[in-house]
Amino acid sequence: MLNAVKDVIRKSSIHVCLINTGGCNGCDIEVVALLSPRYDLEQYGIYVHNNPREADVILITGAVSEQWRDKLIRIYNKAPQPKIVVALGNCPLTGDVFNQEGCSVYAPVSDFIPVDAEVSGCPPRPSEILAAILAVGPDAIAAKGRQK
Amino acid sequence: MSSVIWYLYEFARKSWAESFAGAATDPEIVETPDRFRDFPQVFPEYCISCGACTSACPAPAAIKLIRSEDNTEEEGKAYPVINNRGCIRCGFCAEVCPTDPKAITCGENHLIKEEFTIIPVAKSYIIDDYLCIRCKKCQKVCPVNCINEIENKMEVDQSQCIACGECLKACPVKGALKAISASTIQEQKEIINLTVNTLEQLIESKRDAITKLAPEKLFKIELPLEELLEKARGIISDEELIMETIERITDRLKMRIITWDDDKCQHCQLCVKECPTGAIKYNDEEDVVERDTQKCIRCSTCYQTCPFGVAGYYIAKFLLDKSETGEEEILITLKPAELPIRG
Repeated sequence: MLNAVKDVIRKSSIHVCLINTGGCNGCDIEVVALLSPRYDLEQYGIYVHNNPREADVILITGAVSEQWRDKLIRIYNKAPQPKIVVALGNCPLTGDVFNQEGCSVYAPVSDFIPVDAEVSGCPPRPSEILAAILAVGPDAIAAKGRQK
Repeated sequence: MSSVIWYLYEFARKSWAESFAGAATDPEIVETPDRFRDFPQVFPEYCISCGACTSACPAPAAIKLIRSEDNTEEEGKAYPVINNRGCIRCGFCAEVCPTDPKAITCGENHLIKEEFTIIPVAKSYIIDDYLCIRCKKCQKVCPVNCINEIENKMEVDQSQCIACGECLKACPVKGALKAISASTIQEQKEIINLTVNTLEQLIESKRDAITKLAPEKLFKIELPLEELLEKARGIISDEELIMETIERITDRLKMRIITWDDDKCQHCQLCVKECPTGAIKYNDEEDVVERDTQKCIRCSTCYQTCPFGVAGYYIAKFLLDKSETGEEEILITLKPAELPIRG
């Protein structure tokens, strides 16, 4: 009973922490577009707080620059359980155009922290980001919450 | 008070409660518009494995050329595969793909449309720095000021040129300023091949007369242009371009001719060893030295080696001229080369 109530609450209120680990900012702008009235992210109960301490979803953009390697892990550890990680755009997946020979780029992000969902695209469309968060977010958070 | 009652009445309605509970984004907003350029699509059956897409791709992990396995009937074919995790959907691969139909397509791309080809004018004007005398007459007459002196060289800014042709009229040096029809390069190549081959065959047919030519004498052949033009018209219909191409050939072309007089040959086989391409061979059975015209690169080594004057070496020059009857023709002038013969 208590778990069911927790599930409902967890599913209907997803707090997102957006981390740019050294990308071109394009994906972050797409997230801003999601917040706009046109897409209206908050009607799904998703809030972008940019605070890892209250985050359910950690949204990672960027190709992981040298300075972000240890800080990324620190931020991940600060987020409370249950948490899921969504890699947004091609940068966290392969390093994209930044992953040239001799560059200080440490993609993919999955080398540092476990990634639950990937959204490819450079940048992905806002609707693709929304679909990805909604596809994995609520259920994964509820399921992870029940494990503990 | 009345407004409060009105609001209560409004909120208590079923339709309002329904739309409040089931709020969702308008599906039209979520749909991708037609203009959206999605990940490229690959059609391996059209691919010619040229690799142009991989060299145009700005993302290191986006395109890989893979090769299908060989089977008993045919060899494996290489074709590109798009990695969605690395692709930035720029469409460059589809732009550069040279096949028709394209082996890679990528949404709506303005550079793929015919009316937006990269070269907006039919002719692009270029200055040959080797011949240019820097008189700057072209710069003075240019109506859009697109000819400038950059690092002591005259250069045409192709992005501003309107292809009016004023510079070509003003240029005092023949060949220093050229108008190039970039869209029909392949056809021009075919015309060049056709003309050069026709000239070569004509000279080849007159070989006997050339061999008996006395030293320091000129040998002239006239080739009526009409037959050549007729064939060229089958390649491209633009009469002006055909004449331009042929004139350019006659201006620039210098042909080396090697003749071979078997009667003088003493079978010493000196030339056989010297020939760099192996075009000259000694036939044991018939005791003759044979020359393969297809292999010969006209380097004149045999002419310089032969002590008996078997090989003759001539230079042919060409001129586009009008004959006595007023018809256009190509005047071919052959002259023995002034190379010293090794004694």
